[in-house]
Amino acid sequence: QQQQQQHHEQNLHPVIADLCYHLSRTSKFSSASHNAAQDHHPVNAVANAVANAHNATPPSKRPALPLPVAAIRVLLNVIRRSRAETMMGLQADLRDASDVMIDFAKRGGPVPVAAATKYLLANRSHIALSSSCELFLNHVTRSSSHLETTTPNFRSQLLERGTRFVEFSLSSRDRISSVASPFVREGTTVLTHGRSKVVEAVLLRAARVEKKRFNVIVLEGRPDAGGAKTAKAYDAAGIPTTVVLDAAMGYVMEKVKVDMVLVGAEGVVENGGVVNKIGTFALGVLAKELGVPFYVAAESYKFTRLYPLNNADLPEMGKLDGGGLAFLDTLSWSVNSSSGAGSGREEKKTEVGEEGVGKAGSLKACADLSPYVVDLAPSVSVGNPPCDFTPAKYITLLFTDLGVLTPSAVSDELIRLYQ
Amino acid sequence: AILTLGHLYQTHSLLGGNTRCRAMLQSFSILLKSYTPPPSSRDFRHDVDHALLKPAFQYWTTLCRPHSVSMGNAFSFLKLAVANLDRDLAWAEARELLLESMEAYVTERIEYAGKAISRHAGSKIQDSGDVILVFGKSEVVNRLLLDAALVDKKKFRVIVVDARPLLEGRDTLQILSRAGISCTYVLLNALSYLMMREVTKVFLGASALMSNGSVLSRIGTACVALLANSNHIPVLVGCETYKICNRVQLESITGNELGDADEVACADCARINPSNRWGGFMSGAEDEKKETDVLTDWKQQENLKLLNLMYDLTPSDFVTGIVTEVGILPPTSVAVLLREMSPQENNESAFKGTD
Repeated sequence: QQQQQQHHEQNLHPVIADLCYHLSRTSKFSSASHNAAQDHHPVNAVANAVANAHNATPPSKRPALPLPVAAIRVLLNVIRRSRAETMMGLQADLRDASDVMIDFAKRGGPVPVAAATKYLLANRSHIALSSSCELFLNHVTRSSSHLETTTPNFRSQLLERGTRFVEFSLSSRDRISSVASPFVREGTTVLTHGRSKVVEAVLLRAARVEKKRFNVIVLEGRPDAGGAKTAKAYDAAGIPTTVVLDAAMGYVMEKVKVDMVLVGAEGVVENGGVVNKIGTFALGVLAKELGVPFYVAAESYKFTRLYPLNNADLPEMGKLDGGGLAFLDTLSWSVNSSSGAGSGREEKKTEVGEEGVGKAGSLKACADLSPYVVDLAPSVSVGNPPCDFTPAKYITLLFTDLGVLTPSAVSDELIRLYQ
Repeated sequence: AILTLGHLYQTHSLLGGNTRCRAMLQSFSILLKSYTPPPSSRDFRHDVDHALLKPAFQYWTTLCRPHSVSMGNAFSFLKLAVANLDRDLAWAEARELLLESMEAYVTERIEYAGKAISRHAGSKIQDSGDVILVFGKSEVVNRLLLDAALVDKKKFRVIVVDARPLLEGRDTLQILSRAGISCTYVLLNALSYLMMREVTKVFLGASALMSNGSVLSRIGTACVALLANSNHIPVLVGCETYKICNRVQLESITGNELGDADEVACADCARINPSNRWGGFMSGAEDEKKETDVLTDWKQQENLKLLNLMYDLTPSDFVTGIVTEVGILPPTSVAVLLREMSPQENNESAFKGTD
């Protein structure tokens, strides 16, 4: 059974697999009673394991399993391994495990892990992780009064409920793409921002399965070139794709007569607004002003009971210290360099690739980028907020695995999910 | 007891949804304690309802002052409690049960709800630097501000906005400044200047929540919410769930209540104090009045009517969030709460056949 689980875990992201493995090794699960001690052992052990894993494997593509779902799998294993005798004990164990994971996601751990976490989290927020853990906890322990109190029985029932939850979450993307792809009509232009697997699933389904012809405009998505990365996926499916600067969103929306905007979400909040990659708020306001429908595609495990009043009220997510921002004058570079990619044209393709290690492309081939790098003295503060909050009034509809929802229905679903 | 309470209602000595509801339930307790059903009655529940509760409530509502939604909901609860009593119960026991359930109602749906609202709303107040605007006097809002300042030790400033003729904001000012919160006091006409400059959040109270998310509150509240909304300042309304009303109201005039028109006529704010006002009219303060009040003889003017409305309706668009004991919710979710609170109505769904 141990081997089965090991094999099971190898399909998961290495960090989560190790987290899971190490959570089961901490003393609290081998003793009968649960301790509330916040020990740093899991994180340090993970740090070493991850550093090894990171050095061993080359930086690969993003994990196929979404982080929140992997986290839920970890929690399932926690249920399997927990020695708690009572429902309360089990809940405490689950809560401890999710706190460790969320804390890890927030802090990024000690230095050796920093690179790996950035890779893992890709400059994102921990909202989806918290919301899915919270929902899982709630779902699994909800009708505990209906379950028998004898431990072995209810553990298997909980595991069953948990597994169903995982399966539901895994199939979310398929359900979302099937409800959302009818909204992508033949001959229309879709504008998207950031790199969302859900949005990719929707558009790829519309192109491949429903065989529709439409155009996609992608905002390049600084600082992680998320948009440029998604553009590759669309291009591979034969969808005519254009990549533009983030700052060109207004111009492009009017010039090319964009028919709809589709973005993903890090988290969907109680008032129906969404937290997503920085730039989404501006895009939402713009779309509303220009009368373009603004759609959000998100799984239901991203629904969270947060209630931001406005962007100033958003909880701290990642530092505003400009980590990850480099200022490169690519316009001058492209004019001066011999490979001359993108000079004079309106579109700008930045093939930065993952983690700064480029692909065979023009930027990498150019050996000396330093004349085009703008160095700023430390007295200049640089801000790089990873996410922003788009209020519900700018959102037309949400495509979720529970169906197509209006923003006001999110609270309804949340009340039901948490009841 | 009934007459005393009626008088208090009529003279506007008791203001505020929670206050009026508590007073009503207290009076009912006193009545119940001194009541014995006649020996010839077949069903004491019927007697209690028709001979005791209903006439009292009707007296207050029709002769003294129209009831608030809070009073109405509490009264419905009481009637339901009476109807749910076992027919064969001894009167003493039945009375005990009724008194207990009224106690529980007040404790759970007013007191505990207030605490929960404090907690939820408190999480929205920043540790320092907030400038919070409040209007009039609201028990819920005062409580949450006091908790934030005294218990959570947050540093914020409060701007108290007040309006004639009731000038309830003066009480708020007193309560808050005594607790050491730094306050500013203005009248409603100074609002636009303040909103643009300094205010970071607005907290409002409510008399009732309509099922479409609109907020019924003291007249003037809608202005505050409108101005806050146009300056992109978040508006939070604190309201317990027992004040949720089944009605959908689209504008302010429907079902509104008229206050005393003479209050509007009297321009001298210093005399606006319930006991003063009534006393002043009776005993010869009239000489002073004639010099200062232009509208003294408004009743003799044929074409002049003075309108003193008590409530207004704030549309749900102007409300960023409603803080209830179950959490902060968008105004569109009031209908959801109504649905969740009365599950028995769900069975008669139009879509029953489909699955």
